[in-house]
Amino acid sequence: MSGYRLGSAEVADTFAEAFPMRYTRILITAATDAWALEAARSMTGFATSVIGCKCEAAIERSLTSAETPDGRPGIAVLLFAMDREGVGKRVLERVGQSVMTCPTTACFDGLEGEDKTVPLGASLRYFGDGFQASKVIAGKRFWRIPVMEGEFLVCESVGVGRGVGGGNVVIGAGDEDAALAAALAAVEAMRGAGIALPFPGGIVRSGSKVGSVTSKSMPASTNHQMAPTLRVQVDDTLVPDGVGAMFEIVIDGVSEDAVREAMRRGLHAASGAGATHLTAANFGGKLGQFHFPLSELRDPP
Amino acid sequence: MTLTLALRTQPPARVLAAPMIPERLRGLNASAVAALDLGCGGETVAVGDLFAVSGAGTEEEELVLAGDLRRFDGIGACMSSGEIEVRGDVGAWAGAEMSGGVVRIFGDAGARLGAAYPGARAGMTGGEIVVSGDAGEEAGAGMRRGLVAVGGRTGAGAGLRMLAGTVIALGGIGAEAGLGNKRGSLVSGRPMEPLPAYAFATRFRPPALRLQLRRARELGLNVDEALLRGVWARWSGDRTELTRGEILIFDDGEERRE
Repeated sequence: MSGYRLGSAEVADTFAEAFPMRYTRILITAATDAWALEAARSMTGFATSVIGCKCEAAIERSLTSAETPDGRPGIAVLLFAMDREGVGKRVLERVGQSVMTCPTTACFDGLEGEDKTVPLGASLRYFGDGFQASKVIAGKRFWRIPVMEGEFLVCESVGVGRGVGGGNVVIGAGDEDAALAAALAAVEAMRGAGIALPFPGGIVRSGSKVGSVTSKSMPASTNHQMAPTLRVQVDDTLVPDGVGAMFEIVIDGVSEDAVREAMRRGLHAASGAGATHLTAANFGGKLGQFHFPLSELRDPP
Repeated sequence: MTLTLALRTQPPARVLAAPMIPERLRGLNASAVAALDLGCGGETVAVGDLFAVSGAGTEEEELVLAGDLRRFDGIGACMSSGEIEVRGDVGAWAGAEMSGGVVRIFGDAGARLGAAYPGARAGMTGGEIVVSGDAGEEAGAGMRRGLVAVGGRTGAGAGLRMLAGTVIALGGIGAEAGLGNKRGSLVSGRPMEPLPAYAFATRFRPPALRLQLRRARELGLNVDEALLRGVWARWSGDRTELTRGEILIFDDGEERRE
């Protein structure tokens, strides 16, 4: 296969490389959309990359009051880590610090029916200092933790599923403004059920490579091949002529298919929004279990 | 196919209906169910003599009982799974000491709904009972876990010596409720006067109650939206026990009592 043309963009003959991850979905409800969003933003803050944040998390979508267990407006959050233990630790910290603390919220398992679970309320309840109480409602245990506002309600445990992390598309255009506009259009098209875009606004401008050229101790460093300012300074640049800025959109998804389809939506949206160069990041194909060749994403979503 | 028992004749005396639970009827055809004996006064009577039986015990374990069953005690008692739907009133001890499954009664229930048998410390240890009408005295006595939700009122002494679990009465919890209650929740949709062993704590929107009321609605109770959204007064007690139980009383905002 070779590259192809999609709208205004040239699509490179390459592939995105992704990894197996474990994930959970948390449903946060609150008295208003706004408070649910505050809790979700806080919970998914500083969760861009497992390398530096120990987990990757993002808002999946907002939920109407008809979709939530308690009939209030809510937000679904996806959180990814390398293993189940990691998911358990991170979700406990983040629900404890960002959801329990947020006015009017309650917290539910958004991944019911999974065989594997990690404790949530089962551990958080100790914040109740012995005054916590539990209720089994429709066969599921919940914890009522007394707090200054009243009570925080949280599910006993949350399901953990097998997901895919690190799918990506890279979007380039003649200058920063054009590339960012195309990337934003891609993000808009990619967000949805089963997808987390963990970077700020869904976009990362400092994509990385594994290791470093100049140091043995750095686990990751700048993707110098995709840095436009280094285009003539390095031998192995991947920035084509006429491309002045590139942005990467990293995708974690609940399945290989979810990631592939998000990539497809992103490529097509970007190609219709001024992108001139579309590519993807990989590690030579040796590290990741999942490969997503861009050549397979030619058909529109 | 659901197993349906429709009452044809009133029994001559009170009947112990406890054997008629889905888990014991599983795999039985209509004639085998009709041949089962029930205790009736000092005698026994065959199910088929009292009921028209149709369908068979199913994998889904659903049993429908229809008719005026006020002479039938212990409907759904000790059941651990499946579902019983009753179309009519029932006698005492419905769902007594049940540990799982669902009993839905579209009618009134007698005394000791979901309660402990005499001498037993714990009554219901799981499952859900929904009654569209009223319930008699001492509903949920000795309850350890589970839900009893009544659309109308409960008689006196609901939640007597309750260990935990929840008794909801949308039409109001009756007098002298929650005596000796350790960790249980009594929920009254109408104003009531708690026993002196309870003390007013606060008014709030209990998040767990919202889930329970929605669940009761799912099981067939007519739950007013105002109850789901509204504010409830929390009274803590029994203070002669652990003071960890609660009576929640719907506060419609018209009446502020302390």
